[in-house]
Amino acid sequence: MQGLRLIFEFFKVSTQAELAYRANFFIRFLNAILNLVTGVLSLTVIFNQVDSIKGWDLPSAMALLGVYLLLAALRGLFIGPSLESVAGMDGEIWQGTFDFTLLRPVDKQFLISFRHWRVLMLFDLCLALGVLGYAIHLMQAELTLLAVLGFIITLIAGVALLYAALLAFSALVFWNSGFLFTWIINDLFQLARYPVELYPVWLRLVLTWIIPVGLMTTIPAQALSGRLSWQWLILTLLFTIGALIGASWLFRQGLKKYTSASS
Amino acid sequence: MNHQGGWELIKNTWQSWLQHRGFFFLLAFGWMLPLLVYLMIWSAAASEGSLTGLSQDTLAGYYLVLVLVNQLTYATTNWTVGDNIRMGQISRWLIQPMSPLYHALSSEIAGKVVFMLFSVPVTAVLALIFRPQFNLSWQQSLLFLPSIVLAWALRFFWGYWLALLAFWATRADSLLALQDTMIFLLGGHLAPIRLLPNWMQSLAKILPFRYMSAFPVEILTGFLDKNEIFSGLLIQLGWTITAYLLYRLVWIRGVRHYEAVGG
Repeated sequence: MQGLRLIFEFFKVSTQAELAYRANFFIRFLNAILNLVTGVLSLTVIFNQVDSIKGWDLPSAMALLGVYLLLAALRGLFIGPSLESVAGMDGEIWQGTFDFTLLRPVDKQFLISFRHWRVLMLFDLCLALGVLGYAIHLMQAELTLLAVLGFIITLIAGVALLYAALLAFSALVFWNSGFLFTWIINDLFQLARYPVELYPVWLRLVLTWIIPVGLMTTIPAQALSGRLSWQWLILTLLFTIGALIGASWLFRQGLKKYTSASS
Repeated sequence: MNHQGGWELIKNTWQSWLQHRGFFFLLAFGWMLPLLVYLMIWSAAASEGSLTGLSQDTLAGYYLVLVLVNQLTYATTNWTVGDNIRMGQISRWLIQPMSPLYHALSSEIAGKVVFMLFSVPVTAVLALIFRPQFNLSWQQSLLFLPSIVLAWALRFFWGYWLALLAFWATRADSLLALQDTMIFLLGGHLAPIRLLPNWMQSLAKILPFRYMSAFPVEILTGFLDKNEIFSGLLIQLGWTITAYLLYRLVWIRGVRHYEAVGG
């Protein structure tokens, strides 16, 4: 309960800070629209040339794009800015101000995960939901209740996996504080824009089991188009739980390693 | 005008950039990745059906050359121009006995040196994976040279005049994001121009964005016949001159408008 109250306060403070700059509003708006246009136009161009690639047609690829935009919006809403403020460029570890964070009487992982919010990303979130809606409209005929249920479950797993991956990469900063690990995962996340099946086999395996950006979007999109088997569903859930535990463990190990930069 | 000083500045900047290789390699990796994604998507599409005369190995050749050309023509400095104006850094440059353009040029050249140290070996390794096919002729290679120089100049001055709008509007750098999006869509990144729908193809041939990145690549990989090359070069030259004139205009007006804050 205290956690929820804290999140609400964090959200309020971040919102007040962000809305003080009016120009930001228009720029976020512009960026969100650019993102949407690029994504949808890309798919239009590709499926203008071919009807389907490896079993993915326009509606299912559009669903995947919706999932991708949704995850990207959630990342930008709080996971990204919160973790960046610790492990990113000019983050607290670089600056040596992480000491102040450690002194707060709250669970450290909770604090660094929910502290900063970018409220204008809610706009991106709406656009992402719009794309998902459009995709569902495109494949209306095949949609079943079971598919929607599977989609919601795997989508939540996708968000959790994204969080775990970002947390794990952020934790690496304790071992090498000069390197921007969070940038690597941000770059690799772009690969989640398309189904993993379109990539060469070696990359597909990497994107499924090692840096699971593929699982985050491909699995929910498959669930929505009713092509996900029970085995994969359970495997994804187990993998997600494992990733969350592993990332949290890595973060705590890193915390132990942390020696203040300031004193 | 003091060209000697300009050259010393250029040398100095690239030496200092080389000290932070890791950071710039990471940036280069981030720019390379989207192109590789579309290489793999189109390869997957080409493996299933025919794509108007493009085979997997021609696509690989196109995209791998594009990776290098994009890196060579991408004007990273333009992103910092706005900050320098806002923060008043430019005041110091204005009283130096050489054109402030040299400050932009010096980081441009430093950037190219550092980025190529990363991109050339990586592209060589990628060539082993994707097995590109080239049919080079010496005429094409010869025409490639002026077109890549023009592409760089066009992209640099186009971004520079947009960035200089920061004299009037604080967040003018969002126009650079728009430019990047246009290059992605119409500059041959999303797809080689000939795979785009007709309306996008005609836009690509008129607007400057194709001439900032894809055009030299199309010449080198033999996508164009003689007429297309020469008319393209003319359009490219025309846009480059336009961009340069716009830069002069905005610069002269901007400096007159500029009032420094602080010392």
